[in-house]
Amino acid sequence: MVIDFNKLSGFGWSDNGQSTLSGSLLALFHRLDRLFLKWARECQADQYRFPPFISARELSKLDYFRSFPHLVTFATTLDSSEENLKEFAESEPLNIAGEVQLTRQSPVKEVLTPAACYHFYIRFERESLASARYVTTRANCYRREAYYSPLERQWSFSMREIVCLGTAEEVKDFLARYQTRVDQFFKSIELPVEWKNATDPFFNPSRNPKYLLQKLDPVKTEMIFEDRLAIGSINFHRNYFGEAFEISREGREAFSGCVAFGIERWIYAFLSHYGLSETDWPDLDYE
Amino acid sequence: MRTEEEIRRSLRDWIVKSNGKIRPEEVGDQTPIIEQRIISSLQVMDLIFFLEQLSGAPIEVDDLKPGVFRDIDTIYQNFFHEYQA
Repeated sequence: MVIDFNKLSGFGWSDNGQSTLSGSLLALFHRLDRLFLKWARECQADQYRFPPFISARELSKLDYFRSFPHLVTFATTLDSSEENLKEFAESEPLNIAGEVQLTRQSPVKEVLTPAACYHFYIRFERESLASARYVTTRANCYRREAYYSPLERQWSFSMREIVCLGTAEEVKDFLARYQTRVDQFFKSIELPVEWKNATDPFFNPSRNPKYLLQKLDPVKTEMIFEDRLAIGSINFHRNYFGEAFEISREGREAFSGCVAFGIERWIYAFLSHYGLSETDWPDLDYE
Repeated sequence: MRTEEEIRRSLRDWIVKSNGKIRPEEVGDQTPIIEQRIISSLQVMDLIFFLEQLSGAPIEVDDLKPGVFRDIDTIYQNFFHEYQA
Protein backbone atom coordinates (compact mmCIF):
# COMPACT_ATOMS: atom_id res chain seq x y z
CA MET A 1 0.00 0.00 0.00
CA VAL A 2 1.24 3.48 -0.83
CA ILE A 3 1.53 5.58 2.31
CA ASP A 4 0.03 9.06 2.16
CA PHE A 5 2.41 10.89 4.46
CA ASN A 6 0.23 14.01 4.42
CA LYS A 7 -2.51 12.03 6.14
CA LEU A 8 -0.17 10.36 8.60
CA SER A 9 -0.66 11.89 12.01
CA GLY A 10 2.39 12.10 14.25
CA PHE A 11 4.79 12.29 11.32
CA GLY A 12 7.00 15.12 10.17
CA TRP A 13 9.39 15.09 7.25
CA SER A 14 12.33 17.31 6.37
CA ASP A 15 13.69 17.33 2.85
CA ASN A 16 17.17 16.83 4.25
CA GLY A 17 16.22 13.23 4.92
CA GLN A 18 15.10 13.38 8.52
CA SER A 19 11.81 12.46 10.12
CA THR A 20 9.99 13.42 13.30
CA LEU A 21 7.78 10.94 15.12
CA SER A 22 5.15 11.49 17.77
CA GLY A 23 1.93 9.89 19.00
CA SER A 24 1.18 6.38 17.79
CA LEU A 25 4.20 6.32 15.45
CA LEU A 26 6.59 7.09 18.28
CA ALA A 27 4.84 4.44 20.38
CA LEU A 28 5.39 1.96 17.53
CA PHE A 29 9.06 2.97 17.37
CA HIS A 30 9.45 2.17 21.08
CA ARG A 31 7.48 -1.06 20.84
CA LEU A 32 9.66 -2.26 17.97
CA ASP A 33 12.82 -1.43 19.85
CA ARG A 34 11.49 -3.21 22.95
CA LEU A 35 10.91 -6.27 20.77
CA PHE A 36 14.50 -6.13 19.46
CA LEU A 37 15.78 -5.71 23.01
CA LYS A 38 13.75 -8.71 24.09
CA TRP A 39 15.46 -10.71 21.35
CA ALA A 40 18.84 -9.33 22.50
CA ARG A 41 18.13 -10.55 26.04
CA GLU A 42 17.71 -14.08 24.69
CA CYS A 43 21.50 -14.19 24.26
CA GLN A 44 22.10 -12.14 27.45
CA ALA A 45 23.48 -9.27 25.38
CA ASP A 46 24.88 -6.40 27.44
CA GLN A 47 23.36 -3.05 26.56
CA TYR A 48 25.46 -0.04 25.56
CA ARG A 49 24.72 3.54 24.68
CA PHE A 50 27.38 5.24 22.59
CA PRO A 51 28.06 8.89 21.73
CA PRO A 52 27.17 10.17 18.25
CA PHE A 53 30.73 10.69 16.95
CA ILE A 54 33.29 8.11 15.93
CA SER A 55 36.96 8.99 15.57
CA ALA A 56 38.00 9.22 11.92
CA ARG A 57 41.30 7.58 12.87
CA GLU A 58 39.43 4.49 14.09
CA LEU A 59 37.14 4.36 11.07
CA SER A 60 40.08 4.60 8.72
CA LYS A 61 41.38 1.30 10.17
CA LEU A 62 38.39 -0.23 8.39
CA ASP A 63 39.26 1.48 5.12
CA TYR A 64 35.91 3.21 5.56
CA PHE A 65 36.78 6.40 3.70
CA ARG A 66 37.87 4.51 0.61
CA SER A 67 34.92 2.12 0.68
CA PHE A 68 32.11 4.56 1.57
CA PRO A 69 33.15 8.18 0.86
CA HIS A 70 29.70 8.89 -0.56
CA LEU A 71 27.97 8.04 2.74
CA VAL A 72 30.10 9.78 5.30
CA THR A 73 29.00 12.82 7.34
CA PHE A 74 31.74 14.73 9.13
CA ALA A 75 31.47 16.70 12.36
CA THR A 76 33.01 20.08 11.68
CA THR A 77 33.64 23.18 13.81
CA LEU A 78 35.17 26.58 13.25
CA ASP A 79 38.79 27.20 14.10
CA SER A 80 38.48 28.74 17.55
CA SER A 81 40.85 31.67 17.09
CA GLU A 82 39.24 34.98 18.09
CA GLU A 83 39.96 36.51 14.70
CA ASN A 84 38.42 33.55 12.80
CA LEU A 85 35.26 33.47 14.95
CA LYS A 86 34.90 37.22 14.59
CA GLU A 87 35.22 36.99 10.84
CA PHE A 88 32.52 34.32 10.73
CA ALA A 89 30.12 36.10 13.09
CA GLU A 90 30.51 39.52 11.53
CA SER A 91 30.21 38.53 7.91
CA GLU A 92 27.08 36.88 6.48
CA PRO A 93 26.96 33.45 8.22
CA LEU A 94 24.27 32.16 5.86
CA ASN A 95 23.78 32.84 2.17
CA ILE A 96 20.47 33.03 0.36
CA ALA A 97 20.56 29.32 -0.49
CA GLY A 98 20.78 28.46 3.21
CA GLU A 99 24.45 27.49 2.96
CA VAL A 100 26.68 28.34 5.87
CA GLN A 101 29.58 30.56 4.81
CA LEU A 102 32.25 28.82 6.83
CA THR A 103 35.47 30.58 7.61
CA ARG A 104 38.53 28.57 8.62
CA GLN A 105 37.59 25.20 10.16
CA SER A 106 39.23 23.15 12.86
CA PRO A 107 40.80 19.94 11.59
CA VAL A 108 38.06 17.36 11.04
CA LYS A 109 38.71 14.33 13.20
CA GLU A 110 35.23 13.02 13.90
CA VAL A 111 32.52 11.33 11.88
CA LEU A 112 28.84 10.94 12.74
CA THR A 113 28.13 7.28 13.43
CA PRO A 114 27.49 5.48 10.12
CA ALA A 115 26.65 2.08 11.65
CA ALA A 116 25.83 1.22 15.26
CA CYS A 117 28.13 -1.77 15.71
CA TYR A 118 31.41 -0.01 14.81
CA HIS A 119 31.50 1.41 18.33
CA PHE A 120 31.87 -2.07 19.81
CA TYR A 121 35.02 -3.03 17.90
CA ILE A 122 36.65 0.24 18.90
CA ARG A 123 35.53 -0.30 22.50
CA PHE A 124 36.94 -3.84 22.64
CA GLU A 125 40.22 -3.01 20.91
CA ARG A 126 43.13 -5.25 22.00
CA GLU A 127 40.88 -7.35 24.26
CA SER A 128 41.28 -11.07 24.57
CA LEU A 129 37.81 -12.58 24.94
CA ALA A 130 37.52 -15.46 27.41
CA SER A 131 34.13 -16.40 25.96
CA ALA A 132 31.86 -15.24 23.18
CA ARG A 133 30.62 -11.72 23.87
CA TYR A 134 27.07 -10.62 23.09
CA VAL A 135 26.22 -6.92 23.09
CA THR A 136 23.51 -4.62 21.81
CA THR A 137 23.04 -0.94 21.15
CA ARG A 138 20.73 1.44 19.35
CA ALA A 139 22.26 4.40 17.56
CA ASN A 140 21.25 7.27 15.37
CA CYS A 141 23.16 6.54 12.20
CA TYR A 142 24.05 9.04 9.49
CA ARG A 143 24.47 8.23 5.82
CA ARG A 144 24.38 10.83 3.09
CA GLU A 145 22.39 9.46 0.15
CA ALA A 146 21.70 10.63 -3.39
CA TYR A 147 18.01 11.05 -2.53
CA TYR A 148 15.79 10.66 0.51
CA SER A 149 12.37 9.19 1.03
CA PRO A 150 10.29 9.28 4.25
CA LEU A 151 11.07 6.32 6.55
CA GLU A 152 12.64 4.41 3.63
CA ARG A 153 15.86 6.31 3.01
CA GLN A 154 16.99 8.91 5.51
CA TRP A 155 20.15 10.85 6.21
CA SER A 156 19.72 10.01 9.88
CA PHE A 157 17.95 6.90 11.05
CA SER A 158 17.78 4.56 14.03
CA MET A 159 19.56 1.24 13.99
CA ARG A 160 19.32 -1.45 16.68
CA GLU A 161 22.03 -4.06 16.50
CA ILE A 162 22.74 -7.27 18.35
CA VAL A 163 26.38 -8.26 17.97
CA CYS A 164 28.42 -11.36 18.72
CA LEU A 165 32.22 -11.51 18.92
CA GLY A 166 33.78 -14.95 19.27
CA THR A 167 35.09 -17.87 17.27
CA ALA A 168 33.84 -18.43 13.73
CA GLU A 169 31.52 -21.17 14.99
CA GLU A 170 30.13 -19.08 17.85
CA VAL A 171 29.34 -16.24 15.50
CA LYS A 172 27.81 -18.46 12.82
CA ASP A 173 25.62 -20.19 15.43
CA PHE A 174 24.50 -16.80 16.73
CA LEU A 175 23.58 -15.55 13.26
CA ALA A 176 21.75 -18.75 12.33
CA ARG A 177 19.80 -18.68 15.60
CA TYR A 178 18.68 -15.10 15.02
CA GLN A 179 17.77 -15.68 11.41
CA THR A 180 15.44 -18.48 12.53
CA ARG A 181 14.11 -16.37 15.40
CA VAL A 182 13.35 -13.32 13.26
CA ASP A 183 11.96 -15.42 10.43
CA GLN A 184 9.49 -17.10 12.82
CA PHE A 185 8.40 -13.64 13.89
CA PHE A 186 7.76 -12.48 10.31
CA LYS A 187 5.66 -15.58 9.72
CA SER A 188 3.73 -15.12 12.97
CA ILE A 189 2.66 -11.58 12.03
CA GLU A 190 2.33 -12.46 8.33
CA LEU A 191 4.67 -9.71 7.19
CA PRO A 192 5.92 -10.49 3.65
CA VAL A 193 9.68 -10.55 4.21
CA GLU A 194 12.21 -12.69 2.36
CA TRP A 195 15.89 -13.22 3.00
CA LYS A 196 18.25 -12.26 0.20
CA ASN A 197 22.02 -12.09 -0.14
CA ALA A 198 23.29 -8.56 -0.57
CA THR A 199 26.50 -6.56 -0.64
CA ASP A 200 27.45 -3.41 1.24
CA PRO A 201 26.87 -0.14 -0.69
CA PHE A 202 30.49 0.34 -1.76
CA PHE A 203 31.62 3.40 -3.67
CA ASN A 204 32.50 2.51 -7.25
CA PRO A 205 31.80 -1.18 -6.57
CA SER A 206 33.11 -2.61 -9.83
CA ARG A 207 36.56 -1.33 -8.89
CA ASN A 208 36.43 -2.45 -5.28
CA PRO A 209 37.84 -5.92 -4.52
CA LYS A 210 35.83 -6.00 -1.28
CA TYR A 211 32.66 -5.84 -3.36
CA LEU A 212 33.85 -8.68 -5.56
CA LEU A 213 34.66 -10.72 -2.48
CA GLN A 214 31.20 -10.10 -1.00
CA LYS A 215 29.66 -11.27 -4.27
CA LEU A 216 31.75 -14.43 -4.25
CA ASP A 217 31.36 -15.15 -0.57
CA PRO A 218 28.12 -13.52 0.62
CA VAL A 219 28.31 -12.30 4.18
CA LYS A 220 25.23 -10.11 4.23
CA THR A 221 21.66 -11.38 4.19
CA GLU A 222 18.93 -8.79 4.12
CA MET A 223 15.34 -8.95 5.35
CA ILE A 224 13.54 -7.72 2.23
CA PHE A 225 10.02 -6.41 2.70
CA GLU A 226 7.74 -6.93 -0.33
CA ASP A 227 10.69 -7.56 -2.60
CA ARG A 228 11.85 -3.95 -2.43
CA LEU A 229 12.95 -2.63 0.97
CA ALA A 230 15.64 -4.01 3.29
CA ILE A 231 14.34 -3.54 6.84
CA GLY A 232 17.25 -5.31 8.47
CA SER A 233 20.20 -7.55 7.83
CA ILE A 234 22.32 -10.33 9.20
CA ASN A 235 26.03 -9.80 8.67
CA PHE A 236 29.02 -12.09 9.08
CA HIS A 237 32.18 -9.96 9.24
CA ARG A 238 34.56 -12.91 9.28
CA ASN A 239 37.56 -11.75 11.41
CA TYR A 240 37.75 -8.35 9.70
CA PHE A 241 37.06 -6.27 12.83
CA GLY A 242 38.99 -8.67 15.05
CA GLU A 243 42.07 -8.11 12.91
CA ALA A 244 41.63 -4.35 12.52
CA PHE A 245 41.20 -3.83 16.28
CA GLU A 246 43.34 -6.73 17.53
CA ILE A 247 40.48 -8.44 19.36
CA SER A 248 41.25 -12.09 20.00
CA ARG A 249 39.37 -15.22 20.98
CA GLU A 250 41.06 -18.55 21.73
CA GLY A 251 44.40 -17.12 20.65
CA ARG A 252 43.24 -16.05 17.19
CA GLU A 253 41.67 -12.95 15.72
CA ALA A 254 38.04 -12.83 16.86
CA PHE A 255 35.23 -13.26 14.36
CA SER A 256 32.11 -11.11 14.59
CA GLY A 257 28.64 -10.79 13.23
CA CYS A 258 25.59 -8.65 13.80
CA VAL A 259 21.85 -8.60 13.40
CA ALA A 260 20.73 -5.08 12.45
CA PHE A 261 17.25 -3.57 12.43
CA GLY A 262 16.44 -0.27 10.71
CA ILE A 263 13.63 0.96 12.91
CA GLU A 264 12.17 3.61 10.57
CA ARG A 265 12.02 1.01 7.79
CA TRP A 266 10.19 -1.39 10.08
CA ILE A 267 7.68 1.39 10.73
CA TYR A 268 7.39 1.89 6.97
CA ALA A 269 6.73 -1.83 6.47
CA PHE A 270 4.06 -1.82 9.19
CA LEU A 271 2.28 1.22 7.75
CA SER A 272 2.50 -0.09 4.22
CA HIS A 273 1.31 -3.59 5.06
CA TYR A 274 -1.15 -3.09 7.92
CA GLY A 275 -2.32 0.46 7.23
CA LEU A 276 -2.09 3.75 9.04
CA SER A 277 -4.38 2.87 11.93
CA GLU A 278 -2.72 1.73 15.13
CA THR A 279 -5.53 -0.72 15.84
CA ASP A 280 -4.58 -2.73 12.74
CA TRP A 281 -0.94 -3.24 13.73
CA PRO A 282 0.21 -6.52 15.31
CA ASP A 283 0.45 -6.50 19.09
CA LEU A 284 4.20 -6.58 19.61
CA ASP A 285 4.10 -6.57 23.39
CA TYR A 286 2.70 -10.10 23.37
CA GLU A 287 5.15 -11.50 20.85
CA MET B 1 48.30 -32.26 -18.51
CA ARG B 2 48.72 -31.81 -14.78
CA THR B 3 47.34 -34.40 -12.38
CA GLU B 4 44.71 -33.53 -9.80
CA GLU B 5 47.35 -33.86 -7.09
CA GLU B 6 49.66 -31.39 -8.87
CA ILE B 7 46.86 -28.88 -9.30
CA ARG B 8 45.86 -29.11 -5.66
CA ARG B 9 49.49 -28.71 -4.60
CA SER B 10 49.88 -25.63 -6.85
CA LEU B 11 46.77 -24.11 -5.34
CA ARG B 12 47.99 -24.78 -1.81
CA ASP B 13 51.45 -23.35 -2.61
CA TRP B 14 49.89 -20.20 -4.06
CA ILE B 15 47.64 -19.72 -1.02
CA VAL B 16 50.52 -20.22 1.43
CA LYS B 17 52.78 -17.85 -0.54
CA SER B 18 50.08 -15.19 -0.87
CA ASN B 19 49.18 -15.31 2.80
CA GLY B 20 52.80 -15.13 3.92
CA LYS B 21 52.11 -16.31 7.47
CA ILE B 22 50.21 -19.57 7.26
CA ARG B 23 52.00 -22.96 7.10
CA PRO B 24 51.20 -25.45 4.27
CA GLU B 25 49.88 -28.03 6.77
CA GLU B 26 47.31 -25.47 7.97
CA VAL B 27 45.68 -25.29 4.54
CA GLY B 28 43.58 -28.41 4.03
CA ASP B 29 41.38 -29.12 1.03
CA GLN B 30 38.37 -27.88 2.98
CA THR B 31 39.93 -24.96 4.84
CA PRO B 32 37.67 -21.97 4.10
CA ILE B 33 40.23 -19.55 2.65
CA ILE B 34 37.86 -16.61 2.18
CA GLU B 35 35.87 -17.03 5.38
CA GLN B 36 39.04 -17.25 7.47
CA ARG B 37 40.52 -14.41 5.44
CA ILE B 38 43.59 -16.46 4.54
CA ILE B 39 43.12 -14.75 1.17
CA SER B 40 42.24 -11.07 1.48
CA SER B 41 39.89 -9.11 -0.75
CA LEU B 42 42.91 -7.52 -2.43
CA GLN B 43 44.27 -10.96 -3.34
CA VAL B 44 41.09 -12.23 -4.98
CA MET B 45 41.95 -10.67 -8.35
CA ASP B 46 45.43 -12.24 -8.12
CA LEU B 47 43.77 -15.59 -7.39
CA ILE B 48 41.58 -15.25 -10.48
CA PHE B 49 44.63 -14.41 -12.59
CA PHE B 50 46.52 -17.38 -11.11
CA LEU B 51 43.60 -19.74 -11.85
CA GLU B 52 43.47 -18.49 -15.44
CA GLN B 53 47.15 -19.30 -15.83
CA LEU B 54 46.85 -22.69 -14.15
CA SER B 55 43.78 -23.81 -16.07
CA GLY B 56 44.63 -22.06 -19.32
CA ALA B 57 41.05 -20.83 -19.55
CA PRO B 58 39.75 -17.27 -19.13
CA ILE B 59 37.49 -16.49 -16.15
CA GLU B 60 34.60 -14.07 -16.61
CA VAL B 61 34.37 -12.28 -13.26
CA ASP B 62 30.72 -11.32 -13.72
CA ASP B 63 29.78 -14.98 -14.20
CA LEU B 64 31.38 -16.19 -10.98
CA LYS B 65 28.91 -17.73 -8.56
CA PRO B 66 28.98 -17.30 -4.78
CA GLY B 67 31.07 -19.92 -3.03
CA VAL B 68 33.37 -20.88 -5.93
CA PHE B 69 36.50 -19.86 -4.01
CA ARG B 70 35.45 -21.34 -0.68
CA ASP B 71 38.30 -23.84 -0.37
CA ILE B 72 40.70 -25.91 -2.48
CA ASP B 73 38.01 -28.56 -3.05
CA THR B 74 35.49 -26.09 -4.48
CA ILE B 75 38.14 -24.29 -6.56
CA TYR B 76 39.21 -27.62 -8.02
CA GLN B 77 35.61 -28.67 -8.71
CA ASN B 78 34.72 -25.36 -10.36
CA PHE B 79 37.80 -24.63 -12.43
CA PHE B 80 39.65 -27.89 -13.07
CA HIS B 81 37.40 -30.89 -12.69
CA GLU B 82 35.97 -30.80 -16.19
CA TYR B 83 39.41 -30.59 -17.77
CA GLN B 84 40.50 -33.74 -15.99
CA ALA B 85 37.47 -35.84 -16.90
